[in-house]
Amino acid sequence: MLLVTISDIIGIKILKSPVPGAIEIVGFLGVIITAFAIAHTYLRDGHIKVEFIVMRLSSGTQKVLSILVSVLSLVLFIIIAWQSFEFGRVLQKTGEVSMTQGIPFYPFVYAISFCSIAVCLVLIVEIINLIIKLRK
Amino acid sequence: MTPVSIGIIGILVLIVILLIGLPVGFSLAAVGLAGFCYLVSFDAGLNLIARDFFATFSNYSLTVIPMFVFMGSIAFASGMSRRLYDTSYTLFGQLRGGLAIASIAACAGFAAICGSTNATAAAMGRVSLPEMKRYNYDDSLATGCVAAAGSLGILIPPSTVLIVYGILTEQSIGKLFIAGVFPGIMLAILFMMVVTIMCWRNPRLAPAAPPTTLKAKLKGLTGVLEMIVLFALVIGGLLLGWFSPTQAGAAGAGGAILIGLLRGNLRWDGFLFAIKDALQITCMVMIIVTGAVVFGHFIAISTIPLTIADWASGLPLSSIAIMAIIIVIYAIGGCFMDSLALITLTIPIFYPLVVTLQFDPIWFGVIIVLVTEMGVITPPVGVNVYVIKGIAPDVPLEKIFKGIAPFLIALVVAIIILILVPQVATFLPSFAAY
Repeated sequence: MLLVTISDIIGIKILKSPVPGAIEIVGFLGVIITAFAIAHTYLRDGHIKVEFIVMRLSSGTQKVLSILVSVLSLVLFIIIAWQSFEFGRVLQKTGEVSMTQGIPFYPFVYAISFCSIAVCLVLIVEIINLIIKLRK
Repeated sequence: MTPVSIGIIGILVLIVILLIGLPVGFSLAAVGLAGFCYLVSFDAGLNLIARDFFATFSNYSLTVIPMFVFMGSIAFASGMSRRLYDTSYTLFGQLRGGLAIASIAACAGFAAICGSTNATAAAMGRVSLPEMKRYNYDDSLATGCVAAAGSLGILIPPSTVLIVYGILTEQSIGKLFIAGVFPGIMLAILFMMVVTIMCWRNPRLAPAAPPTTLKAKLKGLTGVLEMIVLFALVIGGLLLGWFSPTQAGAAGAGGAILIGLLRGNLRWDGFLFAIKDALQITCMVMIIVTGAVVFGHFIAISTIPLTIADWASGLPLSSIAIMAIIIVIYAIGGCFMDSLALITLTIPIFYPLVVTLQFDPIWFGVIIVLVTEMGVITPPVGVNVYVIKGIAPDVPLEKIFKGIAPFLIALVVAIIILILVPQVATFLPSFAAY
């Protein structure tokens, strides 16, 4: 993950001496860094939330709400994983490639799908943990 | 049900799931997906989300975000914030309220290499709060001035908020950046005036620090040199059309690394910290932007923006009055929401109206930033205040909010000046190439 970011920076550095298709490459690297960081950012609680109401509720209600929130997130990312996979398959069949370098699109769409599955796994673990805590 | 009522239900559902704590980006995407599925068709909605995620993640314009975030992280990791503060300290320290003025100047300087309010407040709070404590500054004044001046981070370029605004409204990010320069300097000066007036009325708030010699002042100036070089490279490059915004950000990040290495204070662990930090912030911003894109598609087909624009332009009110109402709505929203969340939620709704009323989109971007700056320092959700609270845990929240109040007046004054004299924001961009 770190390496990809560095290569992203280097990728842009090279831009100063024009690299054919650099814009496409940087765009694709953008997919990689964002997609692979979603689960990590989630684990470190890095996604911005509105917390001021939840903070004022009792701890029991908070736990129930966090289960609800995690289930909603899970549904969303299952859909993203599934649809990105479908979209990737369509792109693979039609063989769409980028304009200058001819890089195929589909691996990057599959990457989003793969990373969304990772987010789903993180969420499932979280939901199980929350339920165990709630039972106590 | 009409598309408009579906749209309104969508917005209400969005507010509810935001309030129960679903991350902002997830909420926007989920409501956008559900609404699109309902209004068009289930398959269309499912197609939309996959396409929007890929298209946004791979959008070249958006790669400007990691570049500028990385530049700010590197600047912090290599101790630039410390040196900036030392410089403004030697320059302003002996004035009445000098340390507070120095903190504001240093925040403005750091804002020129960093694009977020909380990062600026955190970086400067860590170096300036202990100093002000040492000289017995009033806690309210010390915390309030850093929290308020930290908000300069999104006005003085680079700015994450202006980037996101530029992408959502398809305006030139370079022009938006350059438009923020004068208003940013103006606001910094207004903040300094607030400190001066407060200390003039009550000298006990801020005892003067010992004076520094002219020699020390000149020596201190080298501390800002690197900041000026970086800023000139990035913003000058944008203004002259050397760089696209992404390239400018990359040049800035590269320059920050180079300066850190040459000075010998960018270590490997600092570098790793900067990368991790930048990656996490980038991902957070990208997810919110992606969610906003999905949500924006839903809001667009709900025809709410058109309806509002039609309705408002038929009102017997001048366009300035309507603008004032929009600003008040933003100010209230800003109390409850994070700046990015507020902008991504409202731009699809209000932007068409602003265009219909023939306001300059670049000018509106700067206004929105000023209003969201109020948002990051007003209760109950004032991100900067919590950042400062994290650095100075012994100061109660009420005291910090109390310290902020006078600076809010300065922000309101800045907004009024911008409405009366739009040229403050629109003058420089008229020369920009990008």
